[in-house]
Amino acid sequence: MPILETKNLKKVYGSGETAVHALRGVSLSVLQGEFVAVVGTSGSGKSTLLHMLGGLDRPTAGEVIVDGKPIFTLKDEELTVFRRRKIGFVFQNYNLVPVLNVYENIVLPIQLDGNVPDKDYIAQIIGTLGLESKLTALPNQLSGGQQQRVAIARALAAKPAIILADEPTGNLDSRTSQDVMGLLKITSQRFGQTMVMITHNEEIAQLAERIIRIEDGSIVGGGQS
Amino acid sequence: MTKLEILFCMAALLICLLSALWVLYTKYRLRKTMEHMAQMIDAAAMGTFCEDVYDESLLSSIETKLAHYLAASKISAQQVSNEKKNIKKLIADISHQTKTPIANILLYSQLLCEKNLPEESQTCAEALNQQAEKLNFLIHSLVKISRLETGVLVLRPITNPISPMLEEVIAQIRPKAEKKGIRMEFEPRNLYACFDRKWTAEAVCNIMDNAVKYTPAGGNISISLLHTELFARIAIKDSGIGISEEETAKIFGRFYRSPQVSNCEGVGIGLFLTREIIAKESGYIKVTSEPGKGSTFFIYLPAAQP
Repeated sequence: MPILETKNLKKVYGSGETAVHALRGVSLSVLQGEFVAVVGTSGSGKSTLLHMLGGLDRPTAGEVIVDGKPIFTLKDEELTVFRRRKIGFVFQNYNLVPVLNVYENIVLPIQLDGNVPDKDYIAQIIGTLGLESKLTALPNQLSGGQQQRVAIARALAAKPAIILADEPTGNLDSRTSQDVMGLLKITSQRFGQTMVMITHNEEIAQLAERIIRIEDGSIVGGGQS
Repeated sequence: MTKLEILFCMAALLICLLSALWVLYTKYRLRKTMEHMAQMIDAAAMGTFCEDVYDESLLSSIETKLAHYLAASKISAQQVSNEKKNIKKLIADISHQTKTPIANILLYSQLLCEKNLPEESQTCAEALNQQAEKLNFLIHSLVKISRLETGVLVLRPITNPISPMLEEVIAQIRPKAEKKGIRMEFEPRNLYACFDRKWTAEAVCNIMDNAVKYTPAGGNISISLLHTELFARIAIKDSGIGISEEETAKIFGRFYRSPQVSNCEGVGIGLFLTREIIAKESGYIKVTSEPGKGSTFFIYLPAAQP
């Protein structure tokens, strides 16, 4: 059974003459443990798609099913909790909390849920991402690549059903991009983590097991596994 | 107000108070029960669950049901592990029992080739020999892969210098390359990474072997090293036939062979094994290529300090 599925997803911004069809009926499915890249040029609708997959915005028509649950049947407050438990985000600009140190940032989503962090698992993640020596540092003391590694650790820590990464290497130089991409690949291998990554960079997309191509709001290849 | 009315009011107040208390008390009880159940589930996840309430309550019955469920899943986990053991044994048997016959077939087919055979028989004998070699490689690779996958064989990555390992593999491949008129270049650098020397050498060997196989005479293969904050990167660049973009994701799959190399020798298992080995060492592999111009394979190994 797929862990993530969309059925005929449509999104229209505006109405009448000025209506913009960002998504024109997108159907795709992602299996448990898969590492999938969504590739498209800017304006192709890939960011809109990611926002729908993550429940950050509601579609005009169609549905998104995460872990068997059609997410847009949930009320806004329920959706917030669902997102926190089931979906991990990695953004281009890291989005770390500036007043918390690295460790506090990583365990924040777990603590928000009122749970005690699984120490062994967190230690494994920190080891894999090479963050042992940075745990007490504040985000602004870290390089871009290191901040992105913290963001990946935070996304992994809550054991989400899927991780959504939006241009995770967009702000990084090419050497650091290789590090971050390598770590995404290795963590998906090691922790069996399902990942969906959005990018416009073909070379980066190549590390994924499957590439979904999107053009002008429609999928042109790789939609079904 | 009569005495009776006052008494009635007081009784009503008392009842209100009592029912308020009762509501609070049940809420408290419910909370306790929920907390107890959360603890039960935590304990079950840690594998330390045991029943501690034995009475006629619903909670006690839930505990018993959970204990039954846990016992059942323990049994099925045991069965899975038994099956895994059987598979391991089967693999060991296959690899052990097929080794000798295959070695014999190879030996006799070689002997046969050396005899003065009529031309027609000679072609047959050579084909026989070639196929036997292919079978030999296939069986060995399959056994290695299943050993890696089932965990019979564990890689032991330790901090090693990269250049000596590469030089060793290059020395092994060079004769084959020179025979084809292919130049091999390598610039050693003093880089360290965490890897299992023997198996990584095998992985690198597979890639270099492919590079030689798919590069036409007079081409060249260059090997270079680079390090990033977390990885050491080995790049193996050839001037061979290249791989089209749609195929780059597929070439690491099991038994995938590109249609354009269907006339070359090979079984399509080398790159799959290579990727398995590198992944087991917490590294990864990728390729960039342009058809007709050549391919570059990049192996990323976790960087280490000497």
